[in-house]
Amino acid sequence: MRLSKRAKSSESLSMNPELKIKNVQQSVLGDQQPATGNRLMQDWIKRFLPFISLIALCALIPLCEYFILGNDPKFLTPGNLAAIARQTAVITIMAMGMTMVMVSGGIDLSVGSIVGLSGVLGAMSMAPGTPSLLGFTVCLAVGAACGLGNGTAITALKIPAFIVTLGAMGIYRGLALYVSDGNAIVGLPESAGYLAEKNFLGFIPLPLFIVLTIALVVHFVLSNTRLGRYCYAMGSNIEAARYAGIRVSRYQIIYYTILGALSGLAGAIETSRTVTGQPNAGEGYELNVIAAVVIGGGSLSGGQGTVVGTIIGSLIMGVLANGGNLLQISPFIQKIVIGAVIVLAVTFDEFQRRRMESAES
Amino acid sequence: MKSPVPALEMRNIMKSFAGNKVLAQVDLTAHAGEVLALVGENGAGKSTLMKILSGVHQPDGGEILIDGRPMEFVRPVDALAAGIAMIYQELSLAPHLTVAENIFLGREPLKIAPFGVIDRGELNNRARQLLMDYGFDINPRTRLGRLSAAGRQLVEITRAIVEAKRVIVMDEPTSSLTSQEVSELFRLIRDLKARGLAVIYISHRLEELDEIADRLMILRDGRAVYEGKWGEISTDEMIRHMAGRELKEIFPARQAKIGGVKLRVTNLSRPPKFTDIGFEARSGEVVGIAGLAGAGRTEVVEAIFGAHPAVTGEIEIDGRKIDSVQPNVSVKNGLSLLTEDRKRTGLCLNLPMSTNITLANVRALLKGLMLQRKFETKTANDYIRKLSIKPPAPSKHVARLSGGNQQKSLLARWLFANSQVFLLDEPTRGVDVAARSEIYREINELAESGAAVVMVSSDLPELLGMADRILVMRRGRLVTELIAKQTTQEEILKYAAVEESQEL
Repeated sequence: MRLSKRAKSSESLSMNPELKIKNVQQSVLGDQQPATGNRLMQDWIKRFLPFISLIALCALIPLCEYFILGNDPKFLTPGNLAAIARQTAVITIMAMGMTMVMVSGGIDLSVGSIVGLSGVLGAMSMAPGTPSLLGFTVCLAVGAACGLGNGTAITALKIPAFIVTLGAMGIYRGLALYVSDGNAIVGLPESAGYLAEKNFLGFIPLPLFIVLTIALVVHFVLSNTRLGRYCYAMGSNIEAARYAGIRVSRYQIIYYTILGALSGLAGAIETSRTVTGQPNAGEGYELNVIAAVVIGGGSLSGGQGTVVGTIIGSLIMGVLANGGNLLQISPFIQKIVIGAVIVLAVTFDEFQRRRMESAES
Repeated sequence: MKSPVPALEMRNIMKSFAGNKVLAQVDLTAHAGEVLALVGENGAGKSTLMKILSGVHQPDGGEILIDGRPMEFVRPVDALAAGIAMIYQELSLAPHLTVAENIFLGREPLKIAPFGVIDRGELNNRARQLLMDYGFDINPRTRLGRLSAAGRQLVEITRAIVEAKRVIVMDEPTSSLTSQEVSELFRLIRDLKARGLAVIYISHRLEELDEIADRLMILRDGRAVYEGKWGEISTDEMIRHMAGRELKEIFPARQAKIGGVKLRVTNLSRPPKFTDIGFEARSGEVVGIAGLAGAGRTEVVEAIFGAHPAVTGEIEIDGRKIDSVQPNVSVKNGLSLLTEDRKRTGLCLNLPMSTNITLANVRALLKGLMLQRKFETKTANDYIRKLSIKPPAPSKHVARLSGGNQQKSLLARWLFANSQVFLLDEPTRGVDVAARSEIYREINELAESGAAVVMVSSDLPELLGMADRILVMRRGRLVTELIAKQTTQEEILKYAAVEESQEL
């Protein structure tokens, strides 16, 4: 280019546009260069790693069944898949709400206790004769009230969510045990079992249908509404969100209330599954729920996470547990494996993040 | 003074990130006992070059020689061991530790060496001695987090000086310092020169460089476009080298008609930060607020915006009194605040530019409950074009933009929010010359369109060039109001810095 020879001398005004165009072209070409291709590849792997892992697991488990145990592979039978769906439904429902809370930069350790408390109170309201729908509504309302309490305490007391909900975990569990005197609530109407057992349209397990509906709604909310947009903004930088005029406290309370309501729904399903109100129901669920979000790419520091990722995270844990049983692996070992998977998922995420950051400066 | 072998030589340094060439065969030489001014726009490659020097990044090609010996810096520790110290633009200190602990972090004097028991008395004494020698009035026992931005910067400088053996790199070291602290720093730099260190000084403030630089190197687009003795070329030529074009007017003229009062502040107080602040800003007017760091300027604009509770006094916008002063109410009333610290209170760094631009007015994107993605992208593109934000990619995360473009995205946020009163706190801090003049042009356009602009700045030429009136603050009070056209830097400084004893 003739012009570029003169670039070192002074009269750059007139040639500036050409120079710019040249730069643009270079960068467009640069996109096709292998180095940038690598970057795209990395982005792609990062995005789809949870999904790829899930597929790999689904292939690996039947192979192990066949070659190691010498059994006919049961894993991919419709019956087994439906069982996985039922087993993971409760965790997935709660994880949808947790995705929202964690994207917004919060966390809620009390969700397992909310399952117990809402289940007990729902069951108590379901004496024989009253319609079970009323009881399920009570579960939902109790859950929402618990979530509202968490959100209000976090924003009003200005105490970290971790601490507030750690306390709430004990409070709600204690309440569940206190009102039930530590015993299961029994003698529920027969219809109480419907929620967990009935099929939708005759063949879709009702919990699965509920999960899918909620997933669709939460996905829509997170990606297409103001509620979702503020969620990511607050998780990314809560001070910036406040300075942009967002009423951060109000939105935080909304996210926690939604999570509470979904935990109450999970409590309803648990109650229906056992046709009793167990004060210990949901114990330890909070860890599985948080793990599902994290394995699916959600970040403990907020601003990141998707519904699809969380579902995959939840399925990975469900498949690991189910596959472990099929392969007759000790449940103790299964716990170790799931723990390791959580650490690996977060490590991989951090590693990728650091790599991206160092490439930015 | 100059020894034949340079203290530092970087030869043919090359670096690409993900296919983008950031540095293309850059040579840099720094001699013992001289100050090398390194200038260039944001994104020219200065920071990358310095990160290679400090071992944060590894070069793709080229070599680094210290006193003629080739070195390889794989980690920051290696560079430190070779006598290279850095003062980072982004402060890198631990807020929960004391000043003394920060200065000696990693090199604490030990009492019972094998057990690693820290000799606290010795630590504090040494720190006190150092701070006194350097003329910094800071108590070494204070927790760092309690210091002002300027105080933290002084601690960072102290730490780097202690670490430096051969080369010291200062990246915008004066961004939050008062003029008095700056002159202390310059005295220190002269000491460092006399001790035979090579100083590499990065700054956007050309006046500052004029005082201390011996040699000049200009980077543009990852190449060294000029190297020579300081003073050989004029400021205009420097700017042309930096921008690759001429900048006739840094401060473009404004044809704004000054109209009615947009913002009125009466008796605003938040002791001990500031008391009894009262002023007004009219439509079409740019009001500047000058003062030393810590005079309460930032606190005042944040209070007007409602970022802090516990403020007394009255705020009126368009003649209407604002009852509840909170950011969300302010935004609704057409008030906006471009904050001083864009990373902490401005940007959602890991979200796309489009999200950041529309954040204060998401309502405008809604149709029913739905966010209209297409409209959002279009809006972002409009502002990207209007403010020539680079790269013009709405989906790009703002973390990947340069400082100037980040600032423009935030300005775009408030334009899209239809603000009528703009509170701009240090709007060009850490922004390169070309982006600066674009921001100035935008401020003028705002005033011309009838908005009121209140601008806090530590850059006096900027205030003189942009403001109609300049309010001067000292220790939380408004001390005077000056007409920009009829005043000078000296007069502003006189009001901003006069000693209490001289007052009556």
